[in-house]
Amino acid sequence: MATEFQLNGQAITVDIDGDTPLLWALRDDLDQTGTKYGCGIGMCGACTVLVNGRATRSCITPVESVANATVTTIEGLDPDGEHPLQKAWVQTQTPQCGYCQSGQIMQAAAMLKDFPDPTDEQINSVMAGNLCRCMAYVRIREAIKLAAREMNGAGADNASVAGGATNE
Amino acid sequence: MIKKILMGIVGLAVLVLAVFLVIAWESSVDPVDPPASDQFSQQQIDRGEVISGLGNCQTCHTTDPEQPYAGGLAMPTPFGTIYTTNITPDPETGIGQWSQEAFARAMREGVDRSGSHLFPAFPYTHFTKMTDEDVADLYAYVMTREPIRTEAPENTLEFPFNIRMLQAGWKLLFFDEGRYQAEDSMSDEWNRGAYLAEGLGHCSACHSPRNQFGAEDKGQAWEGTVVNGWYAPALNESNLSPVDWTTDDAHAYLREGASPFHGVAIGSMADVVHAGLGKAPDEDVRGLAVWLSDLAGAADGEQAGSQATAAIKSAQAQLGPDPNMSQGERIYAYACASCHYNDPASPNAMRPDMSLNSAVTAPDPVNLIRATLHGVSQEDGIPQVMMPGFASALSDQEIASLLGFLRETHTDQPAWDNLEQTIRDHREQ
Amino acid sequence: MNKFERYLNRPEGTETPASENTLPVSRRGFLIGAAGAGFTLAFFRSGLSFAQPEEVVEAETFDPTIWYHIFPDGRIVVNIAEAEMGQHVGTALARIVADELEADWSMVELHHVDSDPKWGLMVTGGSWSIWQNFTPLSRAGAAGRQALIEEGARLLGVSPDQCQARNSQVIAGDQSISYGDIVSQGDLSRTYSEEELKQMPIKPASQRRLIGRESRALDIPDKTDGTSQYGLDAKVEGMVYGRPLIPPTRYGSTVNSVDDSEAKSVKGYQQTIVLDDPTDTAPGWAVVIADSFHAANKAAAKVKVDWTAGDTADVSEQDILDHAVELIENPDKGSLMFSDEGVDEAFNNASDVFEQDYITHTVLHFQMEPVNALAYEKDGTWEIHTGNQWQSLILPVLAKALGVKEDKVVMRTYMLGGGFGRRLNGDYAVPAALASQQLGKPVKLVFTRDDDIRFDSPRSPSYQRMRMAFDDNGNPVGMEHHAAAGWPTQVMAPFFMPKGANDEPFDPFSAQGAAHWYSVGPHRVRPISNDLANATFRPGWLRSVGSGWINFAIESFMDEAAREAGQDPIDFRLALLKAEGKNAGEAPNSVGGASRQANVLRRVREISEWGQDMPEGTGLGVATTYGQERNMPTWTACVAKVNVNRETGRVKLEKLTLVTDAGTVVHPDGARAQVEGAALWGASMALHEGTRFENGEPVDRNLNTYTPMRIGDVPELEIEFVDSTEAAVGLGEPATTVTGPAIANAIFAAVGIRLREIPITPEAVREALQA
Ligand code: FES
Ligand code: FES
Repeated sequence: MATEFQLNGQAITVDIDGDTPLLWALRDDLDQTGTKYGCGIGMCGACTVLVNGRATRSCITPVESVANATVTTIEGLDPDGEHPLQKAWVQTQTPQCGYCQSGQIMQAAAMLKDFPDPTDEQINSVMAGNLCRCMAYVRIREAIKLAAREMNGAGADNASVAGGATNE
Repeated sequence: MIKKILMGIVGLAVLVLAVFLVIAWESSVDPVDPPASDQFSQQQIDRGEVISGLGNCQTCHTTDPEQPYAGGLAMPTPFGTIYTTNITPDPETGIGQWSQEAFARAMREGVDRSGSHLFPAFPYTHFTKMTDEDVADLYAYVMTREPIRTEAPENTLEFPFNIRMLQAGWKLLFFDEGRYQAEDSMSDEWNRGAYLAEGLGHCSACHSPRNQFGAEDKGQAWEGTVVNGWYAPALNESNLSPVDWTTDDAHAYLREGASPFHGVAIGSMADVVHAGLGKAPDEDVRGLAVWLSDLAGAADGEQAGSQATAAIKSAQAQLGPDPNMSQGERIYAYACASCHYNDPASPNAMRPDMSLNSAVTAPDPVNLIRATLHGVSQEDGIPQVMMPGFASALSDQEIASLLGFLRETHTDQPAWDNLEQTIRDHREQ
Repeated sequence: MNKFERYLNRPEGTETPASENTLPVSRRGFLIGAAGAGFTLAFFRSGLSFAQPEEVVEAETFDPTIWYHIFPDGRIVVNIAEAEMGQHVGTALARIVADELEADWSMVELHHVDSDPKWGLMVTGGSWSIWQNFTPLSRAGAAGRQALIEEGARLLGVSPDQCQARNSQVIAGDQSISYGDIVSQGDLSRTYSEEELKQMPIKPASQRRLIGRESRALDIPDKTDGTSQYGLDAKVEGMVYGRPLIPPTRYGSTVNSVDDSEAKSVKGYQQTIVLDDPTDTAPGWAVVIADSFHAANKAAAKVKVDWTAGDTADVSEQDILDHAVELIENPDKGSLMFSDEGVDEAFNNASDVFEQDYITHTVLHFQMEPVNALAYEKDGTWEIHTGNQWQSLILPVLAKALGVKEDKVVMRTYMLGGGFGRRLNGDYAVPAALASQQLGKPVKLVFTRDDDIRFDSPRSPSYQRMRMAFDDNGNPVGMEHHAAAGWPTQVMAPFFMPKGANDEPFDPFSAQGAAHWYSVGPHRVRPISNDLANATFRPGWLRSVGSGWINFAIESFMDEAAREAGQDPIDFRLALLKAEGKNAGEAPNSVGGASRQANVLRRVREISEWGQDMPEGTGLGVATTYGQERNMPTWTACVAKVNVNRETGRVKLEKLTLVTDAGTVVHPDGARAQVEGAALWGASMALHEGTRFENGEPVDRNLNTYTPMRIGDVPELEIEFVDSTEAAVGLGEPATTVTGPAIANAIFAAVGIRLREIPITPEAVREALQA
């Protein structure tokens, strides 16, 4: 069965079983491997993508259910990989193994639309679905706040950012 | 037991059949050639389209979206399954040979062109309130659809429920024919809403429980009930939502398919909102909202806002990022909250808050179960906002603990019985 | 002498000399030559002689270990043989080279190499990487610098001692020439003997320009835009997908029959194969083969395999722990890691003997990327594409499984979606290779999370008995420590096991931590292999391995002993950290000995709220360890602050304060990240995660029931490093070892209950409060 949708700004068609999870369609059929598999039951967040702008766990989303939708993966979040979140993630040196981070960033991108200036409680509640086994949580929180400031026009506060002081 | 009583009653009805025949008999209306489409003005057809939407004709009379109005939808009733009919202007299998007179009689009296009584699954009991003009417009619209040649499957009603003649008796008991009578004490907006809700829109057909004869139970009008596997919530003051409906909120719900204070429209209600009201002018939707908020016991916006905030706060107070949460709480925190968490001060309709959601407060868990298992499609609720289902991810027991947790912490309602079994039953559907 | 040999010859508790704490450099020298276009610095085996180094490098006839390569355009590519799993090891190693090389850091790139014998032992674990590589990499950098200066001087027409190197330039007065130009214009060929290597002019710490300075990790940008390639991302033309069907027991299961009749209706399903594994790595396995992973998954649900289970099909966590108690109570069992003279006398003459038992439960790795491997044969060589931490361990197994020589197997390198020790054990590559061989085509074997957990090498449950003898004055005069657990090293790398005082080998990783630096009189440590654990599952190395459970026992016990002796837990410990005798420390690795541990402990007391009044239900607990290895001590101290809800039993971890002395810190921000992650891992194991075996398998199979720490559980973290230029030691694990006991001790301080079992559950807290 063919399903059509917009993937990272391009119209695409995949001719696979409609019940194939979007995750595997993206990874195995569409070569977008930035989206990761961690649990397959919607509880780790590694597979988070945006469907019509909302964060969605692609591992439990049948590809047929995104027919005609707009799907954005980490590869398409920003054409140059320079979304404020991505920059903040580098500036705070957040990723360790990095495996969870596509999902973290996509979830954070969706969160900032609803909570442009998130409090700790909001971050805890919204990001609780994204497991980071390396426990890079302190920096994930810091990076989200940094990106939020950037996106709200306040500009980055370099001084508070680990590893951001120099880059010789 | 109920069935036995019913049989008895129906048996009695057979005895008085002789007397009854006189009353029951209806003449046939002569067939006509299908009217030429230029017989209707485009404005009239356009108005008819809106009427059709408001009456939600397409939902019941369409099974295959490629074949609109060709009927065939199964409507399970306690008496057997009724299939909706083909209402395209096909002369043989549809209503191509129906004159406007025949059409109006069907709409308002529940009698088809040949003189047979229609089953009240077709809500003529409500359409009877329609104005002449609306009936005429609807006729224009229906008769200008693409004729589709297709026969609906035979109804599977058991004897004696399959005797159409008996419907006349039913009508004697439960049907009042007559147009909508405006309430002078109410505003025009309210009256417009009432006309649409009680007549064309036949809202109570879903939102009121039915008696053992399949008629809406007038004593429990608007009390809410399960219809076609979905729970249609109470629309009157019995509504269990922690937030009273305001006109604006009801308007947003009926217009967009979502209200920040009540949740999103799924299942048949999604059809009502998107397919049904999609083309309705805003005055009509506004009217419905005015009428609905009055029926449900209106709140003003500020009051609703603070009710919502209080409900969310009270639910959130029971959640915590502590270790070792209960199973349901944990699943909620890790699998649900990323999309459903809200700032108590400003719940976002795109993030349906479970402490405000009518599926969580409902006496029947079916809506919540179905949404959790099978998700919410792009067509449901807010257009393009989807939720994946967890059928493949979580066990019946896990979903039961999740929903039980929501019920316990997010409402003041009693626990649902047999949750796990009910989930199991719905999983395969 | 390689690391294996070193281990064999070096029981825990003995020190190794400076030159030994490094990669095997004996019988080797450096060679610089032209390779392609550029300059290559490589190891070579001495004993061979080279007239023309550049030709040799070009022809690769001498089996070189190439450290780095400088291109004419000035790019410097540093080869990294360690696995990258989040510790940013490549960045740290490259900065060691680049500092000595006086390289322009912005021109430095990393190249993660595939498995090849020339790299010697390929293993990334034990927090060893920096410690082991510091000296050889510094020398490699210095050799390059020296050669570039000599050649640069020649090209500039000056003498080398007028020149200095800085920022990839050789500078003499106002003249300069870039490394790139030297490489393209000069002749850099030369060799350095082992003797010359030792004389390499390594810069003093004060002249370091990269080491210890803030920097960004080179692997990070690719981890924010989806381009980083993990094992799961590997693909090759013509591959099919495999989904394992894992038998009911880890060992000894056999397949009686496979019925795939229902699976045949699944579109894309191909077949189900039964593996025949001569290495017993994946005994009794079947693999569902399909066109896509989705089809393999769908079919797997419909394939019925009838197995005869192995002997451990009924084993439970409790059985394993009960067995541990039996082992501990039998004095003939186990190895004596050491047994000081006079232990028994000390106990016989003691005026008070204090004894407690401690239990830690099974912990899953739950690395975010479930294990997977892509295997295929190409031109007679087996290609294994997967993330792995210990290629040298699994290569011989793969070769045996495939029936080929080891040089016919190569492991391609990928980023690891989490290691934590899981990928030290490369067992998951074996069924992939076998399936590919059987089918004659490339197979990508993907484990679901459930499969990953059933095949995990979890941290074994442990049972420990601690005893302390006190004299009349309440001073400790003797100590005994009996620790029974599954032993990963015995099961997977027995050659790594040193012999104990009773001539019985022991798993150093399951015992480390026990050789503590407290002066407590004669001390005996008896690690015991729990053979029932070893038979039921394959015990794994998991972040800090034994040091995790051992220190839970030691540091809980020290706290209890302090209270038994009526002393403040910090004062009590400080009094025992005397830096005398065997605890005085040795150059280069443990200079200062116990005094450095005392120092971090004092410092954590200063910067935490220690000694202050706490609100009701709130308390502070302390723990201190030397990390893992006595000859690579990472001095660590932690104060945990918890709040206990007496009603619900929930423990809220409010704050962790950590002080670490890891000697020289190469990549400070990366080091901090390691401590953050390790500390939270320890807390997660104490409060959030842990499973148990039932019917031979772990009961928790996914996040629906397994509950590692999430973002909202993270306490406030205060982390401090001691400023030091001592030997650089490991950081990936030490903080893991302190947080658990600190939390348990804090719970005692908060509400007066002693929990001797982790994970600590609200039920256990409630029960203890009621008792
Ligand atoms: S893989 Fe989708 S949430 Fe874990
Ligand atoms: S960075 Fe490794 S799992 Fe998050």
